[in-house]
Amino acid sequence: MEQLFKDQVDGLQEAHFLVLYWVTTAEDRKLRYNITNCFDDLKSLRITRTKQTAAAVVEALRALRFIDVRDEGNRRNIYITAYGARALEALVLRRAFAVKKSAFLEV
Amino acid sequence: MTMGIGGAGSKLAFLYDGEATIVNVSEAELSKLPAKNRILAVVHSATGQLRGSRKNPQIGREAFLSIKREMLAQICGNLVFSSTGGGTGNGITASLLDDLAHRETVPAGEKTAFVLLLPYAKLEPAEFIDNTIGFLRGPLSQAIDSGNTGNIFLFTNRLKFESKLSEQDYNAALIESLKVFMAIPRKGESFRLLDGHVDYEDFDLYLSKPYFNHFTYFHYDPEVDFQKQLEANLNPYLLPPEKPIEALFLLEVPAGGDPTLFYDILSHFAKDNVTPVYSVVENPELDKPFVTVSLLYSRKPAELVDDFNRVSHAHTQAKVRKSLEQHVPLPVLRVSLESEAKRQGKQQGADEAEILTVLRRLGKL
Repeated sequence: MEQLFKDQVDGLQEAHFLVLYWVTTAEDRKLRYNITNCFDDLKSLRITRTKQTAAAVVEALRALRFIDVRDEGNRRNIYITAYGARALEALVLRRAFAVKKSAFLEV
Repeated sequence: MTMGIGGAGSKLAFLYDGEATIVNVSEAELSKLPAKNRILAVVHSATGQLRGSRKNPQIGREAFLSIKREMLAQICGNLVFSSTGGGTGNGITASLLDDLAHRETVPAGEKTAFVLLLPYAKLEPAEFIDNTIGFLRGPLSQAIDSGNTGNIFLFTNRLKFESKLSEQDYNAALIESLKVFMAIPRKGESFRLLDGHVDYEDFDLYLSKPYFNHFTYFHYDPEVDFQKQLEANLNPYLLPPEKPIEALFLLEVPAGGDPTLFYDILSHFAKDNVTPVYSVVENPELDKPFVTVSLLYSRKPAELVDDFNRVSHAHTQAKVRKSLEQHVPLPVLRVSLESEAKRQGKQQGADEAEILTVLRRLGKL
């Protein structure tokens, strides 16, 4: 199973890494990070231009059980899971991607 | 008849010929010379008649429209003086050349010779250089290609600036030099002819050829190679010549001198397949042979423009630098790539460590 986890982390791209990072930061600051925030940030960094791609990134992370997506009110908020934390740790230690700021979290 | 256009052109023309017609957009400038014939080119701004053309050839071009008919009638078969750096001389002369370039043909007897004074690129204002580049590249180039001009004399201000001469002295020396060349047919007529012949008609025909004219004169030593003497005595007021296409010379020998010296000069030109028009006369006032020689050459204006462009570029850079120094106090930014890389690395490491700390704090790890 460890090899499967490693392969799953290897398959993650920059957008996945950033979403995991932003979700963690938001949770640390007692903020709720939702799919719309995620799309806005990915768009402002020119990683994607469409909401479908942002939704696909989030859906992939959810399918891998790296995040939870909860319907709260009329928002779909995102929370990192223990698996997601380990995946983010692996990416950080590997220095796979550079951290980029979230416009939502900076405000 | 002679015509001088603009400030510099008028001064030169009037020095050369006291009967010269002078042209300017400024009445004040016109009245500075006691010329009998003056043409005021009319050009108005919102505040009335302009008193100069601000080194802007476009103003000269607009002014030309008011005197076009009068000027075109007067320049036929004549000599026009102008500078290429200023606004009036450049603009009006450029318009004249444009007009000539667009005619079908101009008969030999009606062609106009141009005496042009080029700025010294190293020390004269950048506007003069820019104007000259535009003039050489455009109107002059087209007029030469059309074959509708006569000789073009490219005088330069180089010696004036290098030798620090007053404008009056320099202009006088330049005109004296031109007069030596222009005196060839008169000398041919007044002195005893020993060989060849250059009469007024021959000389006018030579002047009507659409090439650059470099002339010079010196005491001829038959013991020394003519090429060496020519190279040592190039006219310092004119741009240096290229290989000649045609040539003309007048050899004056003292009374009782050897009238066959000219054969060596003919042999010199024969090496370049040039057959000069020549005349040999006896001048009793001389004690040594004296030769006046003219070379007609074709020089692509692009080559001249290249020379100017190089200096113009340096001028532009200097202007930008000055402007920055005076108006924009930019601090000198010293970037060490090594320390910058270390700083970035440290920053990234800090982010990474922080993420892991946060994950632990959240109890996710």
